[in-house]
Amino acid sequence: MAPILLWLVMVLCLLITAVKYLMGVILKVSFPSTKIKKDYSYEPSVSVLMPCFNEGKTVYETIESISKSNYPSEKFEVIAQDDCSVDDSYEWILKAQRDFTNIRISAGRNEANSGKARTVCNAMQHSTAEVIISIDSDCIFHPEAIRELTACFAEPHIGSVGGRVGVRNPNDGVITAIQAILYYSAFQLYKIPENWTRSVCCISGCLFAIRRELLLEIEPAIRARNWFGIPVNQGEDRFLTHQTLLRGYGTYIDNDALCWTTVPNTLSVLFKQQLRWRRSIVRDFFYTLKTLPQHVWKLHPNTVLTLVLTPLGAIVALLVVVTMLTADPLSWAGPVPLITALGVGAVLSWVIKKYSAKEALAHPLAFGAYVAWSLVSSLLLTPLALCTMDSADWGTRTKQEPEVPLGNTTG
Amino acid sequence: MATPPVKVTARVADAKKWPSLQSLQYKLVLTLYRVFAVVILYAVLAGILAYAFVMGFYAINTSWAAPIILSAVDEKSLDFREKLVTSQQTIEDLKVDSAKLQSGIEEMTKHRAALLALEPELQTAIAREKKHNLATGPTLAALDKQKQTDNVKTQAVLAQLNEVEANIQKDLAAGLITKGDAATQLAALNQAQGAATDSKIAELLLTDSVLDKTTNGTTSLDVLEKQAELRSEAAQLDVAINVSQKQLQEETRQIDRLKQAISTAKQSPYYLNAAGGQRLYFAFVPYDNQTAAVAGAAIYDCLLNMIGCRKVGTVNQIFPGEEDAIHPIFKTAIRGYLIQMNLESAEAAKSKTVFLGRKPLLF
Repeated sequence: MAPILLWLVMVLCLLITAVKYLMGVILKVSFPSTKIKKDYSYEPSVSVLMPCFNEGKTVYETIESISKSNYPSEKFEVIAQDDCSVDDSYEWILKAQRDFTNIRISAGRNEANSGKARTVCNAMQHSTAEVIISIDSDCIFHPEAIRELTACFAEPHIGSVGGRVGVRNPNDGVITAIQAILYYSAFQLYKIPENWTRSVCCISGCLFAIRRELLLEIEPAIRARNWFGIPVNQGEDRFLTHQTLLRGYGTYIDNDALCWTTVPNTLSVLFKQQLRWRRSIVRDFFYTLKTLPQHVWKLHPNTVLTLVLTPLGAIVALLVVVTMLTADPLSWAGPVPLITALGVGAVLSWVIKKYSAKEALAHPLAFGAYVAWSLVSSLLLTPLALCTMDSADWGTRTKQEPEVPLGNTTG
Repeated sequence: MATPPVKVTARVADAKKWPSLQSLQYKLVLTLYRVFAVVILYAVLAGILAYAFVMGFYAINTSWAAPIILSAVDEKSLDFREKLVTSQQTIEDLKVDSAKLQSGIEEMTKHRAALLALEPELQTAIAREKKHNLATGPTLAALDKQKQTDNVKTQAVLAQLNEVEANIQKDLAAGLITKGDAATQLAALNQAQGAATDSKIAELLLTDSVLDKTTNGTTSLDVLEKQAELRSEAAQLDVAINVSQKQLQEETRQIDRLKQAISTAKQSPYYLNAAGGQRLYFAFVPYDNQTAAVAGAAIYDCLLNMIGCRKVGTVNQIFPGEEDAIHPIFKTAIRGYLIQMNLESAEAAKSKTVFLGRKPLLF
């Protein structure tokens, strides 16, 4: 009975995922109402908050890309907040401040390493703008990104808007090729049904715009996030999106607001990144379950389903994979999963090549390796995430372990 | 992405803000959680390593066999038994049929011999009759001629009888003779006419007899027809005997074949399982492991299907017929054959795998 129930839940999750992708295609092609009504004449003041830790020269390139933004320079500023990097990141920020004089750049530094979420809050202390855009310090932004994001706030009930994150290094290897396809399909298809109901469940922290008053309302909750006394600094983007929805605002991803990120090109870094994300998903799942009645009454059913079924699918996938490996260890090695992955990879590669040549893949068939990755991901990530909920380690950029106590300090 | 968070140690400052009781509760929960998490993670790690080891082990090991417990009501055994019974029944039916055929052949042979014995007698009789006809035919022909002559003469006499009768009537009318005399004379005339008629009939019969004696008449043809029928019947019997003999040979061969098949079938594990009174133990050996499967080889049963092995018996016999099975670990379809095991420990038959020849990991 239990295995049947597992399979049922798994099939339901897969079915809903497949339906979402399919709906994404249909909505994208046939329903203009999926897209928000943008008002490019709406030009609120904008603060681009850029928390930074151990990014080195990349932070300079990021600010450079923002400096080329087409948004009126008098209406936006960059607030770069260094979280006690142990490399020369802060120096690069200061250099950018000197070099890009066409825009206002504020540079600040935390007194102690505080984590990304709190660094964003710290940076916000220096802002008075109507719209806050939080960005990642390793991304390159399209000149129209800010304009695109702010145009979406013309709809008054929209609380947060995200941009599309593209992959800068799709052809570094098999790992980056897989991620390029996953990123593209997630933004261009999977999130479209959520866009339709203005209830995107997770806006990427790479490019996250939010109304100032909303962020101020949420800020105490961000600072108070903890897990049995341990501060939670991961998954602030998911948390912010979730809180936006719970406060009755809409969320949206504007695929015309582009930014480019360098995705992990080694298995170990990818694993750590995915583990951090999985931890956030699990944490969010527990939060959803804890406040489920509130979710059911307040949120769109599409949102509740996504919030519950996505993490549930991850947990069930683990059990299904264990059952599968026990009952039929070589089933994953059969031709069906590989052929499916190759088929999906080939189609999406063609679509990417046609509509986003910058991300075109040199070797589309590399997506076949996703079968092995999905197995590892299903088998290891969820139990590891469940057993390391107390970990505050970012995993991918830590160069030394700061021993300073946490504080909401600003520099 | 931006900044990573502080390490766990950085929580101290925040923790100070929490009431001490709550802080203690959190510490307790965290400690329990961490202990639990470490145990779970090590269990997961151990599970993964063990799983990988088992997979690798069975990928390279060539001495394992998978015990099979065949039930008396096992489908194959029942099917086998049913086919065996059917074959035996067929043999019995064929035997009865053969006996009938044999009996029929004997009867037909006797009948044929009897028919063939009639042939010389018939020939003798025909010759004897011909000889007699040759002897009596001319005499009878002469007598026939004489008879014809006599009848012609009698006819001439009878022509005069009408005149005599008229005279008798005249004499009676004239009263020269009495009625009694007239009647007597007329009766005598009728007798003479009757005698003449009898003579003509005799002449005709005689002519027929002459014809029979001097020519091939219908009687001879009847005899020849009988002779032909006799020969035909003998030929038909020859054919029938021949067919029956061939059928008998074929049935005899079929009986031999069935007996041979039954003899082979009795060496099958399914027959042994279905027919044997005592519990028998079998195991499936994939072709890849056939070098380890020799009669008399030791059988080891192991803990966790690979370690802590102990000898539990020996290989009794090897059955040559091919069998299909599912790999006990990989769950893929594999080909091989069955062996019969002499087990000292019946529990070993319930193991997923046993090992032939030696311990797989030397302990």
